[in-house]
Amino acid sequence: MRVVVLVKEVPDLEAAVKVTGDGSGLEVEKRRGLNFFDEIAVEAALKLKETEGATTAAVGAGAGVGVEAMRRAVAMGIESPLLVDDAGLEGADSLTIARALAAAVALEPADLVIAGKQATDDEAGLVGPMVAEILGLPCATRAIGLEVDGGSVLVTREIDGGEEVLRLPLPALVTAEKGLAEPRVPGMAGTMKAMKVQIPRTDLATLGVEAHPVLPVASYRTVGKRPPVKMIEGEPAEAAAELVRLLRQEAKVL
Amino acid sequence: MSGFYVICEARGEEFRPATYELLAVARAITATTGGEVTAVVAGPEVTLKAKLDGLAHRVLALTAPELTPFSADPWVEALGVAIAAVTPRAVLFGEGGRTREVMPRLAARLGAWALTNCVDLRVSGEGTGASDEGAALEISRPVYGGKAYVTNTVPADGLLLAAFRPHSFDAGMVPAGLTTAVEEVAAPVAASRVELVERREGGTRKADLTEAAVVVTGGRGMKGPENFGLLEDLAAALEGAVGYSRALVDAGLAEHAYQVGKSGKTVSPTLYIACGVSGAIHHTMGMDTAKVVVAINTDPKAPIFEYADYGVVGDVLQVLPALTEQVRAATS
Repeated sequence: MRVVVLVKEVPDLEAAVKVTGDGSGLEVEKRRGLNFFDEIAVEAALKLKETEGATTAAVGAGAGVGVEAMRRAVAMGIESPLLVDDAGLEGADSLTIARALAAAVALEPADLVIAGKQATDDEAGLVGPMVAEILGLPCATRAIGLEVDGGSVLVTREIDGGEEVLRLPLPALVTAEKGLAEPRVPGMAGTMKAMKVQIPRTDLATLGVEAHPVLPVASYRTVGKRPPVKMIEGEPAEAAAELVRLLRQEAKVL
Repeated sequence: MSGFYVICEARGEEFRPATYELLAVARAITATTGGEVTAVVAGPEVTLKAKLDGLAHRVLALTAPELTPFSADPWVEALGVAIAAVTPRAVLFGEGGRTREVMPRLAARLGAWALTNCVDLRVSGEGTGASDEGAALEISRPVYGGKAYVTNTVPADGLLLAAFRPHSFDAGMVPAGLTTAVEEVAAPVAASRVELVERREGGTRKADLTEAAVVVTGGRGMKGPENFGLLEDLAAALEGAVGYSRALVDAGLAEHAYQVGKSGKTVSPTLYIACGVSGAIHHTMGMDTAKVVVAINTDPKAPIFEYADYGVVGDVLQVLPALTEQVRAATS
């Protein structure tokens, strides 16, 4: 079976983010890596390589970015990376990214596509299910368990107040929740291989992808909406009484 | 392109608060721009449609046996047909697992814009008298874990699908009292390709973290499960839900289903109380859009205080019982 992982390169969680003076843009510190949930997806694919003899591939899309994420996936053990690298993907709409990834996945038949449930930069969670829709695949989101069973896959996932098990006929697309797999730390051999690997690239024109228009940005602003914290002094009983008074009379939330 | 669709979602026999909030903002906007508010119910929610009387111009009830219990395939098909038939300006969803499964697929199917995590929607130029049916909409959401907010302009001729965090709007911001026409439509849908093999309900159904108006979260300062009762007590006094930080979940002391933060749940309550939580970015990504934040921590330099409105420096194990007592006294 062939398993393809959708990977996104994102700014590090600790990267500094600044709104430019006039609110027209964002400056994000260039510390980047493989998205947290995509690392879990990569690990889930590698498990299938071990248990089912699956071949593994990773596809990503970006404008001049994505190589770091791809190298990480290769270092972990992914065999075939492919990057859609196109200036037209700069600030692109989610649907354009999804179309690009779907076209890249479709270059070779895949039995299972695994994506992270969302990326840590925009937390949107849109691209995985969009790719499923574009490719006409059944889709299950937020998997915490994944088991191949003949021509189908059993997916366990958390729902409000419990869990459910779904059966999807293959080919299918699944998105990974924390708990699906514990991502391995690449060994020396993997890291060396990833440093040397040439990441194959393609572009939107080659894939025949039509861009979806970008939603115009009106403005960016920093959080700054929360005034400085008001510290409440005193012994626990005193502080608690004052806190409740403020929550009632000032914040008006009690 | 005209008006708004609100996808109404229930938990059991009552609609989620987000449903009423979204209907309210749609009423408020259409009151100035014109256009209709359509409340959409499908499958299991159809039986609850009487609760929507007065809250929308129209209730569109989509019926088909395949729509109950919820499964994404038939829902995407039924909603896709209903939206394409009218092409409203925007389709509003409450954030949640079901929305995250259906909305992106609808966007791909319809060639629409899709945004999640939204916290505000307004008419562009509101307050300047520039409102009419052709006016653009402005929609806002946090990005980069709440380090910045972005506001997008939605042109009048584009279709937008948007998911809003709970408590983004006041359900009472505009009066109800509309005359609601109810339209029931049999949705021609195929069976889902996905089979529901098993659904295991959790033992005691705790209050839903993402919906709760008040969330009390415990962190490392809670020490261990023997003290979690203190969180439960305060949450009960406030009619809220209890969450846990990643530190406690990773240590195996609390369940992932109740984790607040980047790798857990995102909450957006009216009141958030962080108890012994340091406030690492992993955590604040999951709570930064809460309206009022209280932090209790022994370390006055803990980063959580930068995200808080009110701070108490002290041992949570001592402050919590005192706080619960005061809340009970104040609200009884």
